[in-house]
Amino acid sequence: MADLRAAVTHGVRYDCFGFSSLGAPVMASLSEEVLLVVKRVRQRKQDGTLYLMAERIAWGPEGKDRFTVSHLYADIRCQKISPDGKAKIQLQLVLHTGESTTFHFANESTALKDRDATKELLQQLLPKFKKKANKELEEKNRMLQEDPVLFQLYKDLVVSQVISAEEFWANRLSLNSVEHSLSNNNKQDVGISAAFLADIRPQTDGCNGLRYNLTSDIIESIFRTYPTVKQKYAENVPHSMTEKEFWTRFFQSHYFHRDRINTGQQDIFSECAKQDEKGLKSMVTQGVKNPMVDLLSLEDKTLDEGYGTATAPTTSNPSNKSLRENSNSAIIKRFNHHSAMVLAAGLRKTDAPNDQASETSSTDGNSRDSDFFQPPVKKVKLQEAIEYDDLQGDSGRRTIALNLKKSDRYSHGPIPLQSQHYSSSQDIINSISIIQHEMRNYKPRLTQVMSSSAASSAITALSPGGLLMQSGGQQTINQLVPTDVQSELKHLYTAVGELLRHFWSCFPVNTPFLEEKVVKMKSNLERFQLTKLRPFQEKIQRQYLSTNLTGHLEEMLQAAYNKFQAWQTRRMMRKT
Amino acid sequence: MKLNIDGLLVYFPYDYIYPEQYSYMLELKRTLDAKGHGVLEMPSGTGKTISLLSLIVAYQKAYPLEVTKLVYCSRTVPEIEKVVEELRKLMDYYARQTETKNDFLALALSSRKNLCIHPEVSSLRFGKEVDGKCHSLTASYIRAQHHSNPSQPVCQFYEKFDAVGRQVPIPPGIYNLDDLKDFGRRKGWCPYFLARYAILHANIVVYSYHYLLDPKVADLVSKELAKKSVVVFDEAHNIDNVCIDSMSVNITRRTLDRCQTNVETLQNTISRIKETDAAKLREEYRRLVEGLKEANVARETDIYLSNPVLPDEILQEAVPGSIRTAEHFVGFIKRFLEYLKARLRIHHVVQESAPQFLKDIYEKVCIDRKPLRFCAERLRSLLRTLEIADIADFSPITLISHFATLVSTYSKGFTIIIEPFEDKTPTIANPVLHFSCMDPSIAIKPVFGRFQSVIITSGTLSPLDIYPRILDFRPVTMASFTMTLARTCLCPLIVGRGNDQVAMTSKFETREDFAVIRNYGNLLLEMSAIVPDGIVAFFTSYIYMENIVASWYEQGILENIQRNKLIFIETQDAAETSMALEKYQEACENGRGAILLSVARGKVSEGIDFVHHFGRAVIMFGVPYVYTQSRILKARLEYLRDQFQIRENDFLTFDAMRHAAQCVGRAIRGKTDYGLMIFADKRYARADKRGKLPRWIQEHLTDGSLNLTIDETVQLSKHFLRQMAQPFRQEDQLGLSLLTLEQLQSEDMLQKIAQIAQQA
Repeated sequence: MADLRAAVTHGVRYDCFGFSSLGAPVMASLSEEVLLVVKRVRQRKQDGTLYLMAERIAWGPEGKDRFTVSHLYADIRCQKISPDGKAKIQLQLVLHTGESTTFHFANESTALKDRDATKELLQQLLPKFKKKANKELEEKNRMLQEDPVLFQLYKDLVVSQVISAEEFWANRLSLNSVEHSLSNNNKQDVGISAAFLADIRPQTDGCNGLRYNLTSDIIESIFRTYPTVKQKYAENVPHSMTEKEFWTRFFQSHYFHRDRINTGQQDIFSECAKQDEKGLKSMVTQGVKNPMVDLLSLEDKTLDEGYGTATAPTTSNPSNKSLRENSNSAIIKRFNHHSAMVLAAGLRKTDAPNDQASETSSTDGNSRDSDFFQPPVKKVKLQEAIEYDDLQGDSGRRTIALNLKKSDRYSHGPIPLQSQHYSSSQDIINSISIIQHEMRNYKPRLTQVMSSSAASSAITALSPGGLLMQSGGQQTINQLVPTDVQSELKHLYTAVGELLRHFWSCFPVNTPFLEEKVVKMKSNLERFQLTKLRPFQEKIQRQYLSTNLTGHLEEMLQAAYNKFQAWQTRRMMRKT
Repeated sequence: MKLNIDGLLVYFPYDYIYPEQYSYMLELKRTLDAKGHGVLEMPSGTGKTISLLSLIVAYQKAYPLEVTKLVYCSRTVPEIEKVVEELRKLMDYYARQTETKNDFLALALSSRKNLCIHPEVSSLRFGKEVDGKCHSLTASYIRAQHHSNPSQPVCQFYEKFDAVGRQVPIPPGIYNLDDLKDFGRRKGWCPYFLARYAILHANIVVYSYHYLLDPKVADLVSKELAKKSVVVFDEAHNIDNVCIDSMSVNITRRTLDRCQTNVETLQNTISRIKETDAAKLREEYRRLVEGLKEANVARETDIYLSNPVLPDEILQEAVPGSIRTAEHFVGFIKRFLEYLKARLRIHHVVQESAPQFLKDIYEKVCIDRKPLRFCAERLRSLLRTLEIADIADFSPITLISHFATLVSTYSKGFTIIIEPFEDKTPTIANPVLHFSCMDPSIAIKPVFGRFQSVIITSGTLSPLDIYPRILDFRPVTMASFTMTLARTCLCPLIVGRGNDQVAMTSKFETREDFAVIRNYGNLLLEMSAIVPDGIVAFFTSYIYMENIVASWYEQGILENIQRNKLIFIETQDAAETSMALEKYQEACENGRGAILLSVARGKVSEGIDFVHHFGRAVIMFGVPYVYTQSRILKARLEYLRDQFQIRENDFLTFDAMRHAAQCVGRAIRGKTDYGLMIFADKRYARADKRGKLPRWIQEHLTDGSLNLTIDETVQLSKHFLRQMAQPFRQEDQLGLSLLTLEQLQSEDMLQKIAQIAQQA
């Protein structure tokens, strides 16, 4: 929205609002729901009607029942409105492609109202689509780029139209978002620029007024950094004032000006200031967690009052200080507070539960408790402080400690849990010791061993080239089959695997949606077999290779068909 | 590794060693051999502490009769704890190598606030409150009362310690503050009194300066420390100020008013006791007639550290008759108090010497010098006799009595300045009597006199020769060590001009100049764009910083800086600053980067390290001269000139440069660390300033970096940072700035090492 500020030249205080969607994204609905109809809207000097629908905005000329203009919300970058007091009441949509469409609201009596209603609605709709569309596309793109196998699969399945793109992504995306939320990669919040207030540079509009430009980003930054303002906003808008009025007051208030000293009583933000003050104070009294930076406990033994050369600071005597000095120290306080808030806003989401815990422990615990909590932090910090990693030999190289939730599982691997045959590690140890014990007492019964001729023939049979070693070796396939066939086979395997995954994921079939899907998947499988697998088989037959190569693939498919068959017969039985 | 330092087997708990550490240990060994004092400067981050500890512990083990104790004094609580942890590392190494159990007792001692485990007392926030409350639970007569009246509360930890703690010595080991507390909790003993008792037989004691230098505290705690101790003052660059502070007294009208109430309380108590327990007062009188013989005997037999407030002569005499009875003494104090009140009723500044003051007091109210000298001792005796519970309440009268004793004892080295108002607020009457010490050697003299070796060491002690002069002692070794570096990890730059060629300086005449302030702002802005993570900027004074921040705010410079980094600012409130500091570190830690605006001579500049990414650049805005218009400073400068032939300017520059060096030195805490040091004042380029920087900084100050513009600074910094960001491995250092045992033993390396130490 950066270009917007430059584009609109007349004195509007708020050119553009786009509130971030805090709620759930709008579900795509199939039937087009018309949200708003505005009549007598001109476009290119032609009268017509403007429709705002669930997913797009459209305009049709009067008397015709088709739309000459139609934009998906996702394609719209932003909207602009003409300034108040201008003769023509207009609304302009700017698309991502750079094109723009201007609507002129021509109904004399209600033009302004119409326009505002449109604006309001768009304001709510646009951000949702913008974020969703961009994010999804980006995500898909990224996944395809990062994962060549997936890309190949996409080509095999979607581009060759075995399954549709939606089907392909349907369980890919959800799968991925789970993975990502685990690695905490996907939902990394963007921090707040420390200078966001500076970005709202006021501009004089030439006639004794100041113009502030607000964007949704800035508003979000303000809300995130100063929750008290958000609270005020929620309290006052729109019951007692419009949002325009709210922000006007915000900029006029001393709260915004950081060198404020006394905020008037009538100022709605004076309460915010007070709360900030309180927050700052509580932060200060809470103290610091890291004892190495705690200046209060730095000095071991301070001089008693009255000793020393430094004159005692004039203790909290505000009348002593000039107004200017007061405002200076207020600025300094503000800056510290602002930076702390910005920092906290960036950390708030991830740290929230953590912080809560530490807060409660430090507030309700008495000093003894804090005593007990302190040493670990302190010990670590002290150790850090005295460490010379270059003096220490190689042992200093730090490795990441393996964090095991269940070390038992790590050392034994997953053990099938059979109710009767479950053996604990103690059992294993016991049995090992029993075996050891038995081994110690083991005496070979030499009368019953094999005859030497039988033994030597067995050995020859088992040696390379021997009788039992004839059908030997995986490597023959590697050598026999040309590489291009191999790679094709690999692709086939992944594709079949993907399709089968889709297929098997439908079981147990317990919703109509899944029923539908399983049928579709079955046909997908068949289609795949027909269009991909068969040609491949023919090809290798032409090359006189053993057709056995695809045997396993077919087995897998057959298994799926069998399952499907079984499921279908069962369903028929139930139906009849 | 095991080292051979001049014939002494030293266990060093690391696999590698810095060449300068070896050199440092050599010098230290020579000092101990000669049983003399030493001044050693070695850059921070080169493992000074561990070198000191390794050598002295080895020396103690080799010659247990020559050196019986190490008294290690440091400045702040975290530093004390760090020393103990390093010691623990060393002792663990000893135990591993020699496979014997450690028989050393080493402990840290701190104030009650850091050691108390009494649930009620330890929950108090301020040290003074803790001390007062503790005293009200552990004073001898309180405990006596407890015997007859069990409802009188006492501290069960102290009782338990008193009952058994002294008989059973604390087992050998390394006790940090938390270890002492744990031990105390386990045994149910008071850790503070346990530590105070244990320092007498401990092999190593780590505590803060004040326990040796502040006569009031030293008299209680360190009096009986063995003569054959080695005393180390670490981070000693400010030691003269500590000495002076501990001997100076300020008296305001409020002090006198509170003193008045003290006197009244005393009077009431005395008359009450007279009715009930007159024998007690008679007993005290008898004691006073006998004089302070006890203390005298102890000092002559060399058991006690002498107390500069308790001069030798008075120990031989009995308390003069005029103040021997309690009532007479209170009357005497009252007279003295009235005289002081009269002196504070002035309209112009008065400055006089101690003899002048004594003459005046004799003429006006007929108070003699002799009884004045006994004031402190007499008051102490009286407070003890009267069984005053809360000593803290009596701090004003104690202060006055100390003043009386000091002013009548020392005719030289002190000055009296009475100011009717503060310079900044000439309309508000706020009379203060400054009795200020100008000679740091007075407070430290007993330490040099008593202990066989005193080592003064720090990262910044340049120029070395000034310390022996102002502290009045004769060192046997004085050496400054450089930092051997495989890569130049520090980059000192002197920025003299802005891009508009306007000179950058915090000189008084131009400091309010718009162009200077703007250039300072631009420098910070430019640096904030190129330096990763943390930047620390120091200003010369708090007021100056406030003004600059305000005008930067008005000019929108701060907003632009905020685009690059978060800004945190030191305030005059320590709690607020602590919070800002923690947030600053947090911001550096999570990658946002931050700037800390701070003040030279402030708490941050003296006590907080900015290792690695916490400080990639330090900017020193201006030369941190002390406020030169202060009369106390002027008097001190005059004294220095007359007594030690140190020119005013030399001293002021020395003082400013040691603080500047302290500030910029905060960023480099080791050889793997790196940082820019930007001196933003053209005056740094002058030889007299530059020459007073520590050698390890001076060495890297090339002629090309003396008078840079902002743009040039940015270019040089970029280059430096890019170089430093390359991987730096141990192999790069080996053989140059890091040695294995074999490398250390080679002939030419030993020759090289000999050059590291520069004898002053």
